Amino acid sequence: MNLELILLNFPYFVSIILFSMGTLIVLTQPNLVKKVIGINIMETSIFLFFIAVGNMRGGVPPIYDPNYPQALYVNPLPSVLMLTGIVVSFSVTAFALALIVKLYIYYGTISAPNFMKLK
Amino acid sequence: MDSIAKLPFYCVIIPLIASFCMPVFARWKKEVCAPLATLTTAAVFILTLIIGYHVSQGQILSYAVSGWDPPWGIEMMVDSLSAIMMMLISGISLFILIFSFAAIKYELERIVTGWYYTAFLLCLSGMVGLVASNDIFNMYVLIEITGISACALVAAKGTRLSTEAALKYLLLATIGSGFILFGIGFIYMITGHLNIHFIAAELTIVKDQYPILIWTTLSFFVVGFGVKAALFPLHLWLPDAHSSAPSPSSAILSSLVVKVYIIAFVKILLIAFGLEIFHETFIRHLIIVLAIMAMLAGSFFAFVQIELKRRLAYSTVAQIGYVFLGIGLGTPWGLAAGMLHIIVHAFMKTCLFLCAGAIAYQTGRKQVNEFTGMGYLMPITMGAFTIAAFSMVGIPLFGGFISKYGLALGSLEADLPILILVIVLSGLLNATYYFPIIGQAYFSQDEEHASDDHDTNSSSKFKRDQIPLSMLIPIVVMALGVIYLGIFPGTVLNFINQTIEVLL
Repeated sequence: MNLELILLNFPYFVSIILFSMGTLIVLTQPNLVKKVIGINIMETSIFLFFIAVGNMRGGVPPIYDPNYPQALYVNPLPSVLMLTGIVVSFSVTAFALALIVKLYIYYGTISAPNFMKLK
Repeated sequence: MDSIAKLPFYCVIIPLIASFCMPVFARWKKEVCAPLATLTTAAVFILTLIIGYHVSQGQILSYAVSGWDPPWGIEMMVDSLSAIMMMLISGISLFILIFSFAAIKYELERIVTGWYYTAFLLCLSGMVGLVASNDIFNMYVLIEITGISACALVAAKGTRLSTEAALKYLLLATIGSGFILFGIGFIYMITGHLNIHFIAAELTIVKDQYPILIWTTLSFFVVGFGVKAALFPLHLWLPDAHSSAPSPSSAILSSLVVKVYIIAFVKILLIAFGLEIFHETFIRHLIIVLAIMAMLAGSFFAFVQIELKRRLAYSTVAQIGYVFLGIGLGTPWGLAAGMLHIIVHAFMKTCLFLCAGAIAYQTGRKQVNEFTGMGYLMPITMGAFTIAAFSMVGIPLFGGFISKYGLALGSLEADLPILILVIVLSGLLNATYYFPIIGQAYFSQDEEHASDDHDTNSSSKFKRDQIPLSMLIPIVVMALGVIYLGIFPGTVLNFINQTIEVLL
């Protein structure tokens, strides 16, 4: 592995690191709101990954310009897919927070070990 | 011809539109929601029957949504496997909805009725779309629709336990779909396509250049779909979610929702990645090992549960193992039996959960040690329960026997005869936790509970079940379905084999 290749492709590494961090936070943090934040970090890392896949060094936005017919365009599809991904992530967050509010009313705490036990 | 290819699209869009009309109707009149949802589902069921008829003639329906052709647009493709799953999903949802007429009034607060049917129809639309879709990103969106609405079906009850279970389900399911989305990103990076058949064509060319990336992608998909489909070590959300949900929700979650993910997984594994990668990487060995663990451990966990619905939920973990075993074997009989087990299990688990709901409705009993005299109190319900339980154990003449027999044949084909021992052992474990319930219901001499039934002296006489007809009919239909699949499995098997011959 040469260092240059790693440096040029750093968005992939960042997204993998963020994904691992997010998953770890969801699984280990006792605080439910922190779990939701972990979910958001995880999904954001995936958005970063998709957009890095679509990006192209030296590319321009994919708008046709008759003056530069040979221009190198960035792939717009992954960015468009991630719009859907953002909507999904948003709705999951909203739903999870609604459930957490309800649990807070029942238990008076948002710390998971106080009630979530493996049965 | 062209209009028939559009039918799968209508099957997704009709319940989707109807689901968003439900809250409006609920504001007007709460009572119309259930019949409207049932009518919608019935319409979808009829459409899927038409699709099934055309697919059985040997044609494969393919429709490019809004006229954009496959490499760029979304394609919906229905082969015989998708067609039979669509029929199964809409048919079983129809009977669960009929059951829910009375059960929802008993189990849910009146104010959530409209929203409950919204979630139900969204879930139906997501599931039907998931088995019909041929585009992996579209699959991801439908997976999320199914997952979130399934969480809503659990949370609808609004008790402490169900809210807690719904949150647990939501968090773990989101991790699962995150893994799936990352896998989709990897596939898009390797191939530049999202359509399954184009991915397959591209992967055969480039697979030798990216061996590590393909390994990574496969493992991401196994973890993602494993969490979603409750493959054994990743099943932690399932028992809570399925046992604390209202009984119609438990039935649809346990019999359909966890299965559609398996169908999507099979499509990605066997069509997109193709058989070469399936056999070259050790993915099938991993799946077989996990499946064996699921079959044994799921049954052990089920054995120690006291609450009936938790026992049934753990039993689902074990049965998912059978389906994954069929996929892991990768032989014609193994895969056909795995897919047949999806169908059989959908019938018997729906029957068992609906029976549990009906028993709780009439007598309020939820523990397995309270079943004394139940066979006399509710003869039809307990009869259906017995049929489904026999099928679960794998007694001949019932549906479960055929799929287990097929799995045994499949493991002989794959040259792994030791697996037959595991299948038999798991069947015996099933017997250890179903037969005590049945034995107590019919043969127990214990008179303690008989005094609860208001008239002590007639506790050993058959009475008619005191549950509404709308609850009784679905239970009886499911039990008849189990028997039908056990005696005439040929039609269904031939139908599935149409696709499996192409896949393998």
